[in-house]
Amino acid sequence: MQKVLVVEDELPLNQQLTDLLENAGYQTMGVTDGENAFPAFQDFAPDLVLLDVMLPNKTGIEVCREIRAVSGVPIIMLTAKTEDEHVVEGLEAGADDYILKPMPSFKVLQARIEARLRPMRQSEASEIVLGPLVIDVLGHEVRRDGVRVSLTPLEFNLLQTLAEAPKQVFKREDLLKKVWGYHYDADTRLVNVHVQRLRSKIEDDPDNPKIVVTERGVGYKAGQF
Amino acid sequence: MLSKFASAIFDVFRRSIQVRYVTITVALSAAALVAVGGFLSLTIGNGLFQTRVEQVLQESKQASAEVQKTFTATGNTDVVALQTLVNEVIPNLEQKTANGSRKVALLRSPNQATSQFLQSPISGDLTVSDIPASLREQVAKTENKLVYRTISLESGGVLSPSIVVGSKVVIPVAGDYELYLVYDISDAQETLDFMQSTLAIGGLVMILLLGIVAYFVTRRIVAPVERAALVAEQLALGSLDQRLPERGQDVVAALARSFNRMAQSLETQIGQLSKLSKMQQRFVSDVSHELRTPLTTIKLATEMLEARVEELDPKARRALDTLVSQVARFESLLTDLLEISRYDAGAVVAEIEPNNLGDVVTLAVSGLEPLAETLGCELILKLPSRPVDADFDPRRIERVLRNLISNAIEHGAGKPVEIQVGRSKTAVAVTIKDLGVGMSRSQMDRVFDRFWRGDPARKRTTGGTGLGLAISLEDTHLHQGWLQVTSKPNQGTTFRLTLPRRVGGIFTESPLPLGEILSQRSKI
Repeated sequence: MQKVLVVEDELPLNQQLTDLLENAGYQTMGVTDGENAFPAFQDFAPDLVLLDVMLPNKTGIEVCREIRAVSGVPIIMLTAKTEDEHVVEGLEAGADDYILKPMPSFKVLQARIEARLRPMRQSEASEIVLGPLVIDVLGHEVRRDGVRVSLTPLEFNLLQTLAEAPKQVFKREDLLKKVWGYHYDADTRLVNVHVQRLRSKIEDDPDNPKIVVTERGVGYKAGQF
Repeated sequence: MLSKFASAIFDVFRRSIQVRYVTITVALSAAALVAVGGFLSLTIGNGLFQTRVEQVLQESKQASAEVQKTFTATGNTDVVALQTLVNEVIPNLEQKTANGSRKVALLRSPNQATSQFLQSPISGDLTVSDIPASLREQVAKTENKLVYRTISLESGGVLSPSIVVGSKVVIPVAGDYELYLVYDISDAQETLDFMQSTLAIGGLVMILLLGIVAYFVTRRIVAPVERAALVAEQLALGSLDQRLPERGQDVVAALARSFNRMAQSLETQIGQLSKLSKMQQRFVSDVSHELRTPLTTIKLATEMLEARVEELDPKARRALDTLVSQVARFESLLTDLLEISRYDAGAVVAEIEPNNLGDVVTLAVSGLEPLAETLGCELILKLPSRPVDADFDPRRIERVLRNLISNAIEHGAGKPVEIQVGRSKTAVAVTIKDLGVGMSRSQMDRVFDRFWRGDPARKRTTGGTGLGLAISLEDTHLHQGWLQVTSKPNQGTTFRLTLPRRVGGIFTESPLPLGEILSQRSKI
């Protein structure tokens, strides 16, 4: 049974979420305080974290950074704030995805969770070389000049998707579909922020990227080497 | 070219108070100086002339009396002796003095019975024709009296003003003669000319000085006014901290003080208003956000109940249905409120990119087909053959279109709704026309107002929030476009959305007709 950690300070909402998740077949743990979130994460070792942004004592953004420092486990932010900075800040802290309160329905949330927990696509190649990078598809590992680069599963998936079709330009909507598993209601900021994060880990100069290249007005593609 | 120059001059004249007042001062003082100078030179000229005439008459009287005396006294009747006497006396009358010359002529009066046997002596540079005929007639009729006339005498190509004085002289035996003395009065004319030119130069200098004085005086008065105008303009443009310098106790200082007080009170009031308005926007935004978390909980709880709907009795089911629909309505209200508060806070930025309006309209129409089908309403879409490319934020424009089309379906009384797309060089447009219940004039005037509903009692299928058209109008203004409506009760309503083709583009006409424009909302 897959485990979901629910970090939400509103106890009624926390209970509703855990109840619905348990009904849907997940094992859950609810935390209502920012400070307790990271210890709970270490104890519970969840497969996915649902993380509210506005938390007492420690914000969701900080909790997200703490978790990302040690783990690539999928994190979905819950936010009532729709302002750009808030969403972008959460994504930059390492969240894979975000969902606005109130979500259209629990089913939508469930679909997002499932998309994040779905096992990685199988690839025909077991190893892809992209410039200075060696992508070990089976081992879920990326090495740059022999040194291991730590990527979250989502970042790995994004890189793998681009690297598998080195000549293809991916529209942001295509990437949302392929990497995030969305089919509608897409927010292309997700792609932008994650490409930035990915670049900061793999590029020599993230401001002048060579591996993940922007195709102006279209989207992204893998660099030509 | 010339008219251009003239209009430029006129423009300066019209715009600058200073130029205007200096010009008026100079023109008026010039007129006054011309009048005074004219009067002066006329009076002085007359005086000079009269003095001269009196002098001339005095001299002539003497001369003529002496001549008469000489001829009367002579006892000579001999022609030769008389001629000698004439030749002796008359040329003696010629004078050349510093004051001017005197010329002389002795002419025989015409129409006498006796024949002429004396030669008429005449000064060398004088001819008989210089003596006006009218004067001669007058002399002939007058006895013992001097008659004079002013003439212009030409000598050496120069015309000089002169006075001719005539008198009758009787020469024994020879008959009646006329003695003419011609006085050159150019010296008087010269005096007058000199005086006039002095007056003219003095006048010109005076006008120039007056112009300069007027310039400095008006400068003193206009400068503070100009400064006030500049500061007022800056205030109007939003620099509320602009003030005028307050110096002295005069009316200008009083103006500056009052102006500054006014600016201060404006700044304070606007500051307070904007603070209040910000607080209010903040409040609306905070409330909307704060309500989101409990709303999420209620929604999830409702879903939990929905999953167990079979376990509920019919009344509880109905209650659950109500709960579900009202939660949905609550949510859309919150969303719209938040959107409006963002507009009020000026926090909305359009993501404008090149798009095909036809595609966006098609998408909006296809999204609303299910609603149209439910209400038995046919949607007719009329697209131009060419793509309707324009720059806009597709998400916002689709929202506007969805809102307008769903309104048309709802109020269309089941009759077809026609959606037409048009383009011109400068603009693109969509009209949404229904043949439904329509609106009265007063209803139409309020149609874009927040929370306004045409008919509060009307059953609403889509559970609108009352903010839809207000948001649509804001979205349109964000694109610097027009959103207009025309309507007649029981005949239907047409909305028209017009957008510039390019960002910041200017258009004066929509590519599509709206029909009778009864109420119009466009860019403010």
